[in-house]
Amino acid sequence: MKGLAVTMKHILKVGNRPQVTVQYPYERMPLAERYRGLHAVHEDKCIGCGLCEISCPNATIKIVRYKKWYPQFDLGRCMFCGLCVDACPESALIMGGKYELADSSRERLIYTPDRVLR
Amino acid sequence: METEQLMINMGPVHPSTHGVCRFKLIMNGEIIRDIIPVIGYLHRGTEKLGEMKTYLQFVPYTDRLDYISAMPNNYAFVKAVEELCGIEVPRRAEYIRVIVMELNRIVNHLVAIGSWLLDLGASTMIMYGFREREKVLSLYEMLCGARMTFNYIRFGGVRDDLPPGFIEKTREFLKEMPSRIADYEALLNDNEIFLMRMKNIGYISAKDAINIGVTGPTLRGSDVDYDIRKLQPYSVYEEFDFKACVRKEGDSYARYMVRIDEMRESLKIVEQALNNLPEGKVVSQTPGIGTYRWAPSTVSTFFPRIFNPPKGEVYSRVEAPKGELGFYVVSDGTNKPYRVKIRSPSFCNLNAIGTMVRGLKIPDLIAAFASIDIVLGDVDR
Amino acid sequence: MNYYDIIVWILNWLRVYEPVNSFLEKYGIAIILKLFIIFVVAVIVLAFVALTVMLLTWLERKVFAHVQARFGPMVTGWHGLLQPIADGVKLFFKEDIVPAKADKWLFTIAPFIVFVPAFLVFVPIPFGKSLIVQDLRVGIIYIIAVSAISPIGVLVAGWASNNKYSLLGALRAAAQDISYEVPLALSALAVVLLAGSLSTQDIVAKQQDIWFIFLMPLGFIIFLIASIAEMGRIPFDLQESEQELVAGFFTEYSGAKFVFFFLAEYAHLFAIAGIITTLFLGGWIGPLIPFLHPEISYFIWFLIKCYAVIFFAMWLRGTVPRVRIDQLLGIGWKVMTPLALINLLLYGFLMALGVI
Repeated sequence: MKGLAVTMKHILKVGNRPQVTVQYPYERMPLAERYRGLHAVHEDKCIGCGLCEISCPNATIKIVRYKKWYPQFDLGRCMFCGLCVDACPESALIMGGKYELADSSRERLIYTPDRVLR
Repeated sequence: METEQLMINMGPVHPSTHGVCRFKLIMNGEIIRDIIPVIGYLHRGTEKLGEMKTYLQFVPYTDRLDYISAMPNNYAFVKAVEELCGIEVPRRAEYIRVIVMELNRIVNHLVAIGSWLLDLGASTMIMYGFREREKVLSLYEMLCGARMTFNYIRFGGVRDDLPPGFIEKTREFLKEMPSRIADYEALLNDNEIFLMRMKNIGYISAKDAINIGVTGPTLRGSDVDYDIRKLQPYSVYEEFDFKACVRKEGDSYARYMVRIDEMRESLKIVEQALNNLPEGKVVSQTPGIGTYRWAPSTVSTFFPRIFNPPKGEVYSRVEAPKGELGFYVVSDGTNKPYRVKIRSPSFCNLNAIGTMVRGLKIPDLIAAFASIDIVLGDVDR
Repeated sequence: MNYYDIIVWILNWLRVYEPVNSFLEKYGIAIILKLFIIFVVAVIVLAFVALTVMLLTWLERKVFAHVQARFGPMVTGWHGLLQPIADGVKLFFKEDIVPAKADKWLFTIAPFIVFVPAFLVFVPIPFGKSLIVQDLRVGIIYIIAVSAISPIGVLVAGWASNNKYSLLGALRAAAQDISYEVPLALSALAVVLLAGSLSTQDIVAKQQDIWFIFLMPLGFIIFLIASIAEMGRIPFDLQESEQELVAGFFTEYSGAKFVFFFLAEYAHLFAIAGIITTLFLGGWIGPLIPFLHPEISYFIWFLIKCYAVIFFAMWLRGTVPRVRIDQLLGIGWKVMTPLALINLLLYGFLMALGVI
């Protein structure tokens, strides 16, 4: 019981270290450049080749017709691994910083090209 | 007086099993006579998925095995395939791999000790542990874009080179970490209550441990010097100066000390690696592996449907923070593996729980179980 | 001088006491006035303790969080000050479940058995030179006796829940409580020996020159540890830990009844802090703060010392892990009781030799 004296000293010191909580809804942490969040497709660069579709492990991407041919992402299946970004020959697909993607139904999780074009 | 044995079920959803693991405890009064773990609540069929995805597509799935330390999982699979095909990896990529893997080891031990103490009731340690983990995770976020499932180590190197500012931030982290570890030690090592709960609890002898197949810090806490980084050095571990931490007693306290020592050794390794980081490419130049013609030359990627390793099989293992992680890959010449078998450390370490807790009480079961440090993602795959 | 006298003084100042008293005496029911004043005293004490308990719940979460490098409640009110109100409202609106096979009468009364002694124990605790409900001549014995009623409440709660795990938990909690009563009482006795009287005001008065904590450090440590074990805080809170197989004796309680247990715990904490302050830290003694009435300055000193003890208890909660139940009882009987006895003997010797 007497060994508590050691911890007391350290708690006193430690009590002065900064508090590291980020008050979430009011402040958000800054994201890195390479953060893998929601996809974004560049309208002019994408050629609709389909390389992203076949490199996805989960069959998340489907190329659909929307003006030209663009990818559609089923976020219910996506694991945000980034293999599609690596595969794109025109560097038209990037993953951006949006991570608050909770939604109210499975159908709304399918991001058709109009929601991901930039 | 006849007392009958009671079977108590410590259910899958329990605040102190590290995941969903169910125990059937056969108890005689307060003393545990036998324990039967029932697993499988987190089975996701990873090994079967290995047969249906191409090699590159399987790499993200390996991340999700031991999700707390994901880099060594990536690396184990990638190493197996590289051995199968004979791919040469540039030195800079090897150094980067070692840096991220050792950082991951530190983080894993922090989480292990933190959740162990949370089970015992001192919830400050887990908060401090996660504060450190946060720093490392933001390093990883800078590096590869994700905080838990990295998908960073690829065949022939790593995915992308170090971003600017990474080395400075890592050095900052290295500078402040030793004082934090000293803090944790001071908080816990001499604390009498801690010692009362940990010493002589969960004893496992060296012979038992080897027979059951336990590896990692659990084995090294029982006076067996078995560290794969020293016995069969892989990657560039031969060039670093570190020691394998071994303790003699074999109880929970010894395993705790092994983890603290290993954290310090990992810090040393990362520092040496940062000091000697060679220049060069991070992607192998072996023909057939390379990059797309059009992709930026620092990105390691290749056409997923074309990569066909030669026929053959390979078993390769690495020293993951929890033990020996081994991948047995059988290839039949097509672009999908024929079989991927994962030898996960937590699955084999879990078997030791029976020997450890016979004759103890339930709070001791919780303490001893946490000292083996398993993750259910690894056990159930 | 105690609260009763203070209120009589206030009524005199308002020039209300004399007329009403003589009016009632004419009809021989002067006792109504007395009862009324006692009622007012009780309400004041209850209100003060209740407010302090609410503040303590907030303080606990804040201190616990700051030790862990995080903030604690920040959203409700400025730095989370309205958090206890939010908690209270939530708990009151929860559905009041009584298990089907439980004994309804016992089930309802158990929280009160635990809760009322925690308030009753405030009677002889001096908050200031005359801020005391009643300066009982047997103050210390009253305190020890009243705090010994809570294990009964715990047992009743566990039994009335009709859940074998609750009963086991209640038995363990009661065992823990009563085994730490002994060192508690023995160290309090050592203080009584030093002070020469059982009354709390006398004990405080004897500490004018030097606080008893310096005269009797061993006694202080024993009393502190024994009281932390009595209250069931970490490191001795195996009953409330979620990681144990049995969830404790108050599993079946929800809503308002749970509020009573919860409040009783914090009221007990405040009461123990008050007792430790009285016995060892010199009660309300302290240098006079200028510009304030002496009573108020004594009151402020008392509160400062009380909160120091409370802060220590919360700080301890963040630092150490739990002790196993058998180790806990082992320490209680094998270490604490002999130490308390040695303490008593030692100070008896010293006093007989005339040293102290």
